[in-house]
Amino acid sequence: MSKRQLPFGAVLTACALALSLVSCSPSGDKNPAGKTLNIAFFGDNTTLVSVDPFQVYWLEHRVLLRNVAESLTDQDPATGKIIAWLAKSWEVSDDALTYTFHLRDDVTFSNGERFDARAVKTAFDSNKALATELPATFGATYLAGYDHAEVVDDFTVKLVLAKPNAGFLQATSTTNLSILAPASYALSAKERSLGKIIGTGPFVLQSYTPEVGAHLTKRKGYAWASANMKNQGEAHLDAVDISYIPEESVRNGLFLQGKADILWPRNPFSEVDLKLLQSKGATIQSRSLPGPALNLYPNTRGERALADKQVRLALQKSIDRKSYASTVYNAEFPVVDGIFDVTTPYFKSQGPKLVYDPKGAEQILDAAGWTKGADGYRQKNGKRLSLSYNISPAETAGDVLIQDQLRKVGIDLKLSVVTRAEWIANNSAGNYDLTINYMTRADPIILQTILDPRTANSATLATNIYEPQVLDQAKGLFDAGITATQSQQRADAYGNLQDLLINEGSAFPIYERVWQAATSSKVKNFHWTAEGFALLGDIEIGTP
Amino acid sequence: MTRYLMGRVGQAILVLWGAYSITYFILYLLPGDTLSIMLSASGIEADALSVEDLAKARAYYGLDKGLFEQYFDLLLGALHGDFGQSLSLNRPVAELLVERLPQTLSLAGLAIVLSLLGGIGLAYLAAYVRWKPLKVALARLPSLGFSVPVFWMGLLLIQVFAFGLGWFPATGSRGFESLVLPAVTLAIPSAAVYAQVLQRSFQGVWNQSYITTAFAKGLSRGQVQARHGFKNAALPILTLIGLQVGNTVSGAVLVETIFARSGIGRLAQEAVLRQDIPVVLAIVSVSAAAFVVVNLLVDLLYPWFDPRISHTPKVS
Repeated sequence: MSKRQLPFGAVLTACALALSLVSCSPSGDKNPAGKTLNIAFFGDNTTLVSVDPFQVYWLEHRVLLRNVAESLTDQDPATGKIIAWLAKSWEVSDDALTYTFHLRDDVTFSNGERFDARAVKTAFDSNKALATELPATFGATYLAGYDHAEVVDDFTVKLVLAKPNAGFLQATSTTNLSILAPASYALSAKERSLGKIIGTGPFVLQSYTPEVGAHLTKRKGYAWASANMKNQGEAHLDAVDISYIPEESVRNGLFLQGKADILWPRNPFSEVDLKLLQSKGATIQSRSLPGPALNLYPNTRGERALADKQVRLALQKSIDRKSYASTVYNAEFPVVDGIFDVTTPYFKSQGPKLVYDPKGAEQILDAAGWTKGADGYRQKNGKRLSLSYNISPAETAGDVLIQDQLRKVGIDLKLSVVTRAEWIANNSAGNYDLTINYMTRADPIILQTILDPRTANSATLATNIYEPQVLDQAKGLFDAGITATQSQQRADAYGNLQDLLINEGSAFPIYERVWQAATSSKVKNFHWTAEGFALLGDIEIGTP
Repeated sequence: MTRYLMGRVGQAILVLWGAYSITYFILYLLPGDTLSIMLSASGIEADALSVEDLAKARAYYGLDKGLFEQYFDLLLGALHGDFGQSLSLNRPVAELLVERLPQTLSLAGLAIVLSLLGGIGLAYLAAYVRWKPLKVALARLPSLGFSVPVFWMGLLLIQVFAFGLGWFPATGSRGFESLVLPAVTLAIPSAAVYAQVLQRSFQGVWNQSYITTAFAKGLSRGQVQARHGFKNAALPILTLIGLQVGNTVSGAVLVETIFARSGIGRLAQEAVLRQDIPVVLAIVSVSAAAFVVVNLLVDLLYPWFDPRISHTPKVS
């Protein structure tokens, strides 16, 4: 009788156990000896899976790449000045169209290939070819104007532009235009995307597993760091293990457990997390990411409320940036002070124009004919002063705070949470009153990528922020900025542009984009690069 | 019997085709299109590109086919075992499945074992215990297990067993230890369902006359429950197992995200968000096939466990 019963449980149990055991991969590619640094980032980019420097904008990947692939020049994080790296020196022609680089002659790629003028030409030409095949490639904006390269001799290369690009020298310092080994460019862009990256850096990319992590090992014989590195020789670490942990509490827990040495999420830490991390002996490393601050951009077209400049100016006064920084983040968090984050070269403070002045805002709105109704919201000709703002994938505490601040002066901010796909569709079609966009680059030319209607990554957004009569003035300033050959010319053009954007109410700075990492007490010598990455070659792991 | 089997297989094929087609067209109906998502991900919006550049990009990603042309291409490929190429992952979908599927299968496998052990164990105990307060407490436990959200339970388990006690790793997909916490998390709601159903069955069975007969023959309470009660009460569990296979796939989405495991569930969720149609279709096909096969097996096993049920027409 009971014989019948056994198979029921037994069969099932056996099947399920077999399933679970068959697929358990053997563990054990852990490196038992040596010093390994463990970095826990937030989730990987799952839409554009790539670590190809030319295609990547994802900040975490740029941190990885900065330590694997190097560039012709480097940028001083303190001054924004371009300094020597793989190129010892360079000259720029008077028309700013020809850049002659004199290269170091002692550099090799990790596969043994020599770094020379030919390798530089291969890199730039391959990048140009990819940008032609796929114009949407992110690196294309860095390469703007590049025509061809001439090999003068083994260690001298001329890069020739077809049209001026005042940001080109800075572009040669970025990860986006880093020089990979010619062997890497012989592979397809897809193979490079999945981790076949050979560079000259202090670390070698051994493996990249999308959404899981990456493993870097020390490059033996490395000896050509830029002046930004304190350690001019081989890295102190033997290996770096990077893991992508999407769930915040789990990521924080790994760090508190000592399983991660650097905890590096995308968003700044909240006050609570900050206190907890500090109480466990962690050091908080912060740097404002160069490029625009987190600004809201208006849609001034058509019958929309923000077509009225007075409403935009009132909106500017209704935002309490100080309490945003201190309540959403913490008391030490910097208050946004202009269009750019402070680490951007040619940053110009707009402080006095960004003061919180709800009374002033109400006066402007009253004068413009927007009267407060019984429900506390303003109306004009039977139309409510209501602004739509699309958010994806979820609203943050900051969004709700802004909504509340605007409510106080009678502006109704509608937060609509949409999927990424809907967000993109709405943005392209101009179905919004306020929207966001940002990019990280330590050069004011990044505004060209966001706010110049002719070159922006969203023409709709870049067109909609200006009233039609201001558009030409803005274009003129962009042209002056990109064709400038002298530092003072650039300072003037971008200074005027920053003024224009605030005076016209074409951008509403909300907060400084600060990137924070928590380092455990055993991690020594963590430094930021100009663009907000870390030089892992400097880092030492010691006893706390 | 053969006729019954053929009918069921035909049905299964129809279900698979239906799932495949409905998924394809739903993905098409979603707002936004694959090309703008891909472009946006590489740092540029579709509205910034000229018509020629857009066409170039469309060709680069292989999106230059019509709605039905792409559907038949994909379907034909799938019939030949070729699931196509993932747009954003730059890899053949089949390769992705081979890499990711084992992670989810091991998770689901262990979760099913644990849920059966837990669910049946609990219900068995609840039926055996005679002290009223404990019996009531045990009987209420399944509703609790079912109401606790999966993500919360996962985070709680991580806090206690990974961060607090340090018994198991919190994340990763390496080795058996990393499988325990996610499998337990995934097993709890299923176990609760099994326990609840089995408890009810026990209550029903307990009033049957054959139980009275068994007691009359002088068997102990334990013997009666094991030999007469459980055997008859356990049948509905079989049906439930078939249904729970589907739940495990959807549960895997949450569990794999919390525990940072790279399996099919997370892949599915991300592929839907970025409208990576070939990947979603492949996952839907595989999980639909698993669901159909398990349920077919369950139906075929029924007469074996309970001779009163039969798929062949009765001879009168």
